[in-house]
Formats: sequence, structure tokens, C-alpha cells
Amino acid sequence: MTGLVISEVVATASASGPSTATVTISADEPVLAGHYPDFPIFPGVCVVECVRRGARLTVPAGAGRVTLAALESVRWLAPVFPGDTLGITLDWRGEDLTWWCTGRASTDRGAAAVVRLRYRAGDFR
Amino acid sequence: MIEVMDIKALLPHRFPMLLVDRVTEVVTGTRLTAIKAVTCNEPWYAGLADEDDHGYPEALLVESWMQAAGLLICLGLGRITAPGDVMLAGKLSEVEFHHRVLPGDVLKHDVRLVKDLSHTVVVEGECLVDGAPVLSVAKALLAFRPEGAVQ
Repeated sequence: MTGLVISEVVATASASGPSTATVTISADEPVLAGHYPDFPIFPGVCVVECVRRGARLTVPAGAGRVTLAALESVRWLAPVFPGDTLGITLDWRGEDLTWWCTGRASTDRGAAAVVRLRYRAGDFR
Repeated sequence: MIEVMDIKALLPHRFPMLLVDRVTEVVTGTRLTAIKAVTCNEPWYAGLADEDDHGYPEALLVESWMQAAGLLICLGLGRITAPGDVMLAGKLSEVEFHHRVLPGDVLKHDVRLVKDLSHTVVVEGECLVDGAPVLSVAKALLAFRPEGAVQ
């Protein structure tokens, strides 16, 4: 995978309960060089990016093509460091034109972030 | 006008995560306007296939806006970061994406102070490209903490 986060997000979609995803944060993530020099913390927005990728991999079949419309809420609860493995649960709900995915990301130290993504059907206007 | 050399004295972020190029306007402790130019030689575009989506990652749009918010706090509220201090985002509410951002776009971030709670600060605002909103942030809560407190 290329882009903002190079560590691969692996997801397992579930039709009956929450889907799941995991990603182990590589020490080679490009963002870490500048966030921060001599004190690498995986940026909070990159945790959001991991949740977004997990969501993209588990979009419910009924949703069709969807576009990220909003971060309805993000709560960062604890920092994430290189080498951490993020476990993410992805809870989708919605219908027709609007879909929501609540992602809960945690490390082995506990909860790291809760992200509520809102999607709309179709592409950007 | 505050140029990047002075921004680096205020924010601990560095390449490739320093996502504010210039501050064009500050009303101390009230509001701030900052600019960031998006280019296709940022590292996130490395390795993308020609046909891949080159939309600027939404997460970085938010990060760039939050760094502008960090500058408002540093410049206006007497919280100039000591070496070793880190800025932490605590919470965001209703962050909407209105348009896709592409290389060549110049982001204009407007940040307004809503509440100063001493250890945490609440801000709101939006990001415009050519006068049109691409991002709006109803509420963001930011905190500054000493490095040693983040473990």
C-alpha cells in the first residue's frame, strides 16, 4: 500500500456483526520523521486514516459506491507508537444515501481512538 | 505575515508533517488565517499509479487545519511551546468534507477561538480553496502536553 500510511491494513468484513481490521505500524512510516523528530508518535489523523481504510475494505454490499462526507466525531484516547498493532472494530449502519461507520481502534495498552465516519452514496459533487 | 522559519519555532512538526506554509493574518487570541500549498511531490504521492486517485488525503487536510489551530494557540494564548512540548488533538466534532483537494490547490485555513480552558482549547473554522469551502470543522479540542506526559 502506498499513500499517507504505508503499513498494510488487513480487514475482515462481517455481514452479521462488526467487521474487523488490523494494522501494525511500521517504524518506516514516512510521517514519523516529522512527527516528531527524536520522539516518534503515530499521528492521530493517521489512526483516523487506518480506520478509514478499514472502513473502505468493509463497505456493506448494499451501500454501493460511497464517498467520505464527514468525521462526525473523533476522540483520541491514547497515543500510538511505531511497532504498535492497531485492532479496529468497524460497525456499519445506514441505508440509501447515508451510511455511518463507527471505528474503535485499540493497541495492547487499551483504547486509542473512536472515530465515527459518515459517508454519502456516490462521488464528490 | 509569519513565514515558515517562524512557524518552525512555534510548532514541533517537521518535514513531511509540517503542513502549514505561512500565516497571513492573526488577531491575537481570536482568529488566524494560514496557507498551505498542496503539491504532487509530497511523499504520500510517491508510488501512486498514474490512474490512482490523487485526492489529498482527508486526514492530512484535517491535520493541516489543526496545525493552523495550534499556531493560533501558540501565538495568542501565551502557550508558546517549550522544546519538548507536543500538541495533541483530543476531540473533533462534525468535520465535513465538501470538495476533493488536488495538487495545485492552495488551502486557506481559517481558525477561530471558541473557548480557552487553559489546558485545552476549543476552536472552529474552515478551509477554503479559491474561496470555496473544502472542509468545515464545527469543533476541535486541542491540548498541549509536555513530552514526558505522553507515554
